[in-house]
Amino acid sequence: MKNGHGKLLELLEKSGASLHTLLTRLTLREDVAEELVQELFIRLTNSNELDKVENLDAYARRAAINLAFDWRRNQKHNALGLNRLNEPASNDNSPLAKLVQREELQEILNAIEKINTPAREVFVMRYIQEESYDDIAKQLGKTPHQARALCSRTLSNLRNILGSNNSGLSGKETHNVED
Amino acid sequence: MSKIDENQIRRHLKTLSQIKPTSEATDRAMERVRSVLVGKQQKRGSKSTNVWPVMKRPIAKLAAAAVLLIAVGYAVGWLTTPQPDMEQLKSALETSLRASLIEEMNNRWQTTFTANCVQLKDELQQQVRRDLTEFAAQTLAASNTITEQRLMKLVELIETARARDRQQIAAALEKIEYDKQLLGNGLVALAARTSELREIKQD
Repeated sequence: MKNGHGKLLELLEKSGASLHTLLTRLTLREDVAEELVQELFIRLTNSNELDKVENLDAYARRAAINLAFDWRRNQKHNALGLNRLNEPASNDNSPLAKLVQREELQEILNAIEKINTPAREVFVMRYIQEESYDDIAKQLGKTPHQARALCSRTLSNLRNILGSNNSGLSGKETHNVED
Repeated sequence: MSKIDENQIRRHLKTLSQIKPTSEATDRAMERVRSVLVGKQQKRGSKSTNVWPVMKRPIAKLAAAAVLLIAVGYAVGWLTTPQPDMEQLKSALETSLRASLIEEMNNRWQTTFTANCVQLKDELQQQVRRDLTEFAAQTLAASNTITEQRLMKLVELIETARARDRQQIAAALEKIEYDKQLLGNGLVALAARTSELREIKQD
């Protein structure tokens, strides 16, 4: 049986890169993602419940999502530092179009931040990590149907947040989309 | 930003899902985490070294038995050794104490002397300076007295010389006066003789 340190090293080799990618997507900054990966593993090392965790990969992924949104909450006016967007939203590559696109991405992430934690985790796994509903369900101990329904409600809620008004993005209310 | 419809949201989510960090950034992040984990493990390993797994080894058991035997032997030897001569012990102890006391005293004197050496040096220097100043003052005073005495002698000598010169001048003047008187008398005699001769010639 491996100890906690061995498990974490194995997790790093297996999922370190994907965790870094996830954090980069949620923070839109590579340097911050680098810091947060380190922070994540330090927290996992100091965690007393590591031996009780069945699926360490999913646990780390959820912790990374929460860590990223905690960081976003602390960064009220964070600037975009990422220069790599593999697929532009439009064919227009002008600086103005890129700026608008980045602002929209920030707005989307700010809106996701307002969703409550379990729904947010499912939503990020589905739409940003593009995981299947089966995998999400396994990781969270739910049925695929429940995961799908939660994602659907979260998307609807997100649409309401983004479509309601501009000031709604700076509000502090948490939208509960759980059953 | 104004209202965003569901298609736009999905498109942005798609964009987000396709963001990838550079491989250099990922490698750097993983290396940092790896070094942190290894460092923590080493620290933890050095902190908590568990003795009991080591003690379970056969060689450790043998070593423990050997230590126990040595300890028992030492205890038996100590108990069976005859009591030492107390007088001899006392004398040896006294000698040792005296020697150590002397050494301690020497050390203390040495330390005190070393500590006060600078102060003594300063005091000695000040004393020498005071003595030299006094000696200089006395020498200067004595020198002034001698100089005054010699000046007085010089003045006296000058006065004596002046008096002598005055006397000589006076004697010379007197002699000139005398000679002048002699010359006048001679001239008068000459005039009288000349008159006599003229009268004779006329006769």
